Amino acid sequence: MTTLATPMPGNTAKSQNWVQWVAWILTILCLAAGAYGLYLRFTEGHAAANYGSYVPWGLWIAAYVALIGASAGAFAFAAVIFTLRKTEYYGLARLAMLVAFGAFAAGMMNVWLDLGHPFRFWKLMLQTSWTSIMGWMSWFYVIYGLILVVGLFLTRKGVIPKFMERFSWIAFLFAIAFAGAEGALFGVVGARALWESGLTPILFLVEAALFGVGLVAAGALIFGGMNQQAARMLGLVMLILLGVLLLLEWAEYTTALYASVPAKTSAIMTILTGPFWWVFWGLHLGLGVVLPGLLLLFGRGNVLLTGVAGGLIAAMGLATKLNLVLPALAQEELDGLAHAFTGPGLVFTYFPSTMEWLVWLGALGLGGLIVLVGYQLFSLATPTRSSASK
Amino acid sequence: MADIVQKENLLVRMQEDIRRALEKPEGERRWGMVIDTRKCVGCHACTLSCVAENKLPPGVVYRPVLDQEIGSYPNVTRRFMPRPCMQCEEPPCVPVCPVNATYKRPDGIIAIDYEQCIGCRYCITACPYSARTFDVGYTYTEGTPEQEVYELLPNYEYGVEHARVPGSEESPIGNARKCHFCLHRLEQGALPMCVTTCIGVANFFGDLNDPDSLVAEMAAQPNAIVLKEELGTKPKVFYLV
Repeated sequence: MTTLATPMPGNTAKSQNWVQWVAWILTILCLAAGAYGLYLRFTEGHAAANYGSYVPWGLWIAAYVALIGASAGAFAFAAVIFTLRKTEYYGLARLAMLVAFGAFAAGMMNVWLDLGHPFRFWKLMLQTSWTSIMGWMSWFYVIYGLILVVGLFLTRKGVIPKFMERFSWIAFLFAIAFAGAEGALFGVVGARALWESGLTPILFLVEAALFGVGLVAAGALIFGGMNQQAARMLGLVMLILLGVLLLLEWAEYTTALYASVPAKTSAIMTILTGPFWWVFWGLHLGLGVVLPGLLLLFGRGNVLLTGVAGGLIAAMGLATKLNLVLPALAQEELDGLAHAFTGPGLVFTYFPSTMEWLVWLGALGLGGLIVLVGYQLFSLATPTRSSASK
Repeated sequence: MADIVQKENLLVRMQEDIRRALEKPEGERRWGMVIDTRKCVGCHACTLSCVAENKLPPGVVYRPVLDQEIGSYPNVTRRFMPRPCMQCEEPPCVPVCPVNATYKRPDGIIAIDYEQCIGCRYCITACPYSARTFDVGYTYTEGTPEQEVYELLPNYEYGVEHARVPGSEESPIGNARKCHFCLHRLEQGALPMCVTTCIGVANFFGDLNDPDSLVAEMAAQPNAIVLKEELGTKPKVFYLV
C-alpha cells in the first residue's frame, strides 16, 4: 500500500518564516515575564496571589484545565487520524501530538505552582488516595506525558510505526477517559451547584476536542502544515463542535434557570450578568464562538481563516474555564459568611494579581518553547508517511 | 447570681462528660457540638478565643459567627450562627483529598495531617460549609518595621508543635486549615476553647454516643437542626433554633 507523505509546507514556504519568528518573539517575551513571575512566586509565596480561602482557585486552575483539555483534544485528534489511517493528515497528527505536549506542559506548570507546597507534588504519585479523582488524574498525567514523549520520539523520522496505527484507538479511549475525568474532578463536587452536574464531564469532553482541534489549526497556520483540504476538514470539525458546545451550554443554563435552584441560579447569573459578564458575552461567546464560527462558515477551506479561527477558539478556552471555575466559588455558601470575619482571602470576589498573570504567561511561554523547539527536535518538517508504505 | 451558678454547672457537667468519654476507646466516642442560636448574642468571643488558641494568622478563621437578618421591616430579626467545622459523618472533604492528608479519626473528628497536605485546596472547594480556609502565609505585622513575637509563637494543633516561619512555605503555611474541636485540649480533658469562652453558654459539647451527656440530650431536642441536611453530609454540629 502506498501512502501519501504529508510534508509541512512551512518548511519550504519562506513566507511562513516570519510567522514563526513572531511566535519565537512572543514565546521569549512570555518566558521573560514568567521568569519574573516565578521570582515573585517563590519569594512572596501565595501572599502575592489574589485567590484565598473563599475563592481558593483562580486563573492558574482555569488555565490548567483549559490547557489540559486542549492537550487531550489535540491528542485525541492525532489518535483518530492514526486509527483511521488518514495518511494525508499524518503530518498534522504529528503536529497535534507536539502541541498536545506543549499545552500539557504549560497546564502542568500552572497547577504545580498553584500548590501550597509545590515540592510535595511527588506525594500525588507515591501516596495517592484512590478515592480522589485528583489522585487518579495525577497518574493519568504521568501515563499521558509518557505516551506523548514516546509517540513523538518514535515518529521523529517521519515514519508512523504500524503498531501506532493499530493501537491508536486505545490512546483515543485514554484521551476520552482523561478529558472526562478532568470534568468529573468538578462534576463530583456536590458543594458547588454550578459544577455538580452529569453534563460537566460531557462539556469538558466537547470543550477539550474543540480547543484541541483549534490549537492544531493554529499550530498548522504557524508551521504551515495545512492545505485547503485540511483546512476544510478542521473547519468542519470545529463547526460541529462549536454547535454541540452551544447546545450543551444552552441546555445547562436554561434548565438551571428554569428550575431556579438558588445556588445554581446565582452562579449562572454571576456568569451572565455579574461584574465579569464580558468574559462570557465578549470573550467566550463573541471571540470564542460567534467570530470563529463566522470565519469558519464563510471561509471554508481558507487556510488563514481556519487557522485564525482555531487560534481564537483555543485562546478563548481560558474564558470558558474561568466561567466554570470562578463563578462557582464566588458564591456565599452560607448567608452572612462574607461579613462574618474579615481578612485577606476571606472575600468572594477575585481578579488575578500581577504575579498570577506573569506566571500564567510564563507557562504559556514554556508551552510555546516546547512546540518551537520540538518542531526542530522531532523533525516535524520531515514528510510523514506510514511505515506500511513503500 | 443564679445564672453564674447555672453556667458553672453546665461547664462542669460537660467537663465531666468529656472525661468520661476519654475513658472509652477512641472508636466508641463521637464528639459533637450543639449551638443554641437563641442564646448566642453575636459577641464573637468564640471566634477570637479560637484565633488566640490556635494562633490563627490573617485570612484563616475556624469559627466565624454569621450575622443573619431575617424578615423585612417591620418584622425583622437577627440571628447569629457560629460556624465551626461540622465534623461530618460523611465528610465531602475527605474522599477528594488526593494524598490522604485529610481523614476522619475514629472519634469522628476530621483531621488534617499538615505535613502530608500538598495545598491543592480541593477540600476547600468540596466543603459545603466553607469551613476550611487556606493559610497563605500572611502576618499581622506585614509592612510594619518589626515582626512581633506573638506572630512567631507555635501552635499545638493536633497535639503537635507547629512553628510559624513567616516568609517560608513551612506547614501550616500553604495548607488548608480548619476547626478540629480543639483536639489538643480535648485529649487533655479540656473543652474546646469556643465552648469555654462562650459568655452565654450557648455551646454544648461532648460525646454524642453517651446518652447521659449534656450534648446528646441537647442534640435530641425537637428543635435541633443541622445545616444543609439535604446534602447528606450528616454534620455532628447541631443548632437549636
